[in-house]
Amino acid sequence: MSTIALAAPAAMPGAPARTSGYLVLAPSCLVLTIFFALPMGTMIGMSFMDAQTLSPTLFNYQRFFSDGLSLAGLYRTAVMSILVAVCVTVLGYPVAYYLARSRSRWRALVFALALAPELAGVVLRTYGWLIILEDRGFINDMLTHLGVIASPLPLSKNLFAVVVGLTHVVLPFGILSLTTSIQGIDPNLERAAQMLGASRLAVVRHIILPLSVPGIVSSLLIAFTMAASAYATPALLGGARFKVLATMIYEQVLFYIDWGFAAVMAIALLIMMLMISFLGIRYEARRSSRRSNREGGAS
Amino acid sequence: MNRVLTCAFWLAIALVLTFITLPLAVVVAASLSPSSAVTFLPWEWTFDWYGDLLADRWLQPFLLSVKIATVVAGISGVLGVLAAYAVVYERIPGSTAIMAGLLSPLSVPQIVKGVAIVLFLSIIGLQGVLGTPALIAAHVVLALPFVTRMAATSLANFDGNLDRAAQSLGATKRQRLQHIVLPMIKPGVLSGVTFAFIISFNNIPLSVFLVRPGDTTLPIAVINYLEYSLDPVMAAVNVASMIFILAVIFLFEKIGGFSAQLHGGSK
Repeated sequence: MSTIALAAPAAMPGAPARTSGYLVLAPSCLVLTIFFALPMGTMIGMSFMDAQTLSPTLFNYQRFFSDGLSLAGLYRTAVMSILVAVCVTVLGYPVAYYLARSRSRWRALVFALALAPELAGVVLRTYGWLIILEDRGFINDMLTHLGVIASPLPLSKNLFAVVVGLTHVVLPFGILSLTTSIQGIDPNLERAAQMLGASRLAVVRHIILPLSVPGIVSSLLIAFTMAASAYATPALLGGARFKVLATMIYEQVLFYIDWGFAAVMAIALLIMMLMISFLGIRYEARRSSRRSNREGGAS
Repeated sequence: MNRVLTCAFWLAIALVLTFITLPLAVVVAASLSPSSAVTFLPWEWTFDWYGDLLADRWLQPFLLSVKIATVVAGISGVLGVLAAYAVVYERIPGSTAIMAGLLSPLSVPQIVKGVAIVLFLSIIGLQGVLGTPALIAAHVVLALPFVTRMAATSLANFDGNLDRAAQSLGATKRQRLQHIVLPMIKPGVLSGVTFAFIISFNNIPLSVFLVRPGDTTLPIAVINYLEYSLDPVMAAVNVASMIFILAVIFLFEKIGGFSAQLHGGSK
């Protein structure tokens, strides 16, 4: 009796409380049903329909897999997201290690600098990269002035620009997840290895990197999903010359008004994201089951 | 060897921090540049571009964004607290499944939610609500799961003994809610509401499908303009909206938001 009371902050779950509980839940459920569940259902339904006659058809899916353009878009989305995931994790790692281990007074500054861009919004940062990477932008302008190059380097409206822009957008999230993971590693392990004569490099290679693999995995997955679903950065930095699924979906809806095909593209993007999340969940599950096995064996 | 590694480590950190701050610095510099072409670092400064912000072209979208973000923060704040109350405090049957349902929009990319909503509205013949009503509804769908999660976490973490003490001293349920539960979860709810305001104010992937001429939010107005021109007025718009966001965060912080939550206090 007393244990139940301790577990539940609510004092007396009775019939009236339940009714009022469902009652206060109703507005949220209503909003999410009308503006999320029904639209998602409609979209999935539309993908199996002809946009004009609304008769059932698999044509949209056939078109997605036979049309080279949409498969190329899917491929570009995947390549871009993988590159962003790798860049975010590689660039974020040293900063995360510093944030996890440092006790200097500069730590607060580094933390603020690493996370401040998140408040600035995506447009501001993308605009900053546009100014820097444009044909007549900061870098090309400087190199031309210095006489290093005669004609501008192709720095914008391509994969490179989009990867740079998205890496910048996603980096704070990668740093956060890596920092949490590195903080969980016992610093005594590093000290012990150093006392036993291991070089810094050996400590990094044999202790820190292997133990932070979960953080690395979660940083890669977060970065991949954020990059694959980003819209504004690929739209502005990739433009018409580097189209990914997100920008192609937008075109289908607003320019070609081909809803069925737009729905198929959106579903392709959704499935790609769900597969990545599923990989993450499976990785977590396997890791925790391995850990419980090990602890079970030890006892 | 160790020294080389240490140097490489510091160099890497310096480079990454430069990478992070460079575009922000460039935008601030550009907003103060007197020439219309955004090139080298400006050697002369002007605030003229900020004067242009008061033109209708930027003022209208800004006011609309503020209006939508305020309504969205209010609605998702109320709905989120109610839902968290039902699931965590009342512990209605099936609460785990209900919570999963309430948070499910989080696993769908924004651009997919945007397409789904615009297709749905068109199919049922409600294109008329595109613009402000559709923007508010879509932003609530986006923000509500975050607010619900933050409110639920606060409710689950607060010390239930306070509630039980009040109950055993004869406080009615209404009194407990008003004087104990709500004040205890206020910081969590306020940070959720601030977050809702910010994601609505900055949103692009949903808004891009739902705006209509004359009913355009600030970020959409900015990206539409950027397709044609990069002139420094864009920099001024962006810097001004960032300052606005910082002011909003500061305001909510003053009312008793995040740092109170970080310090675990009730005020």
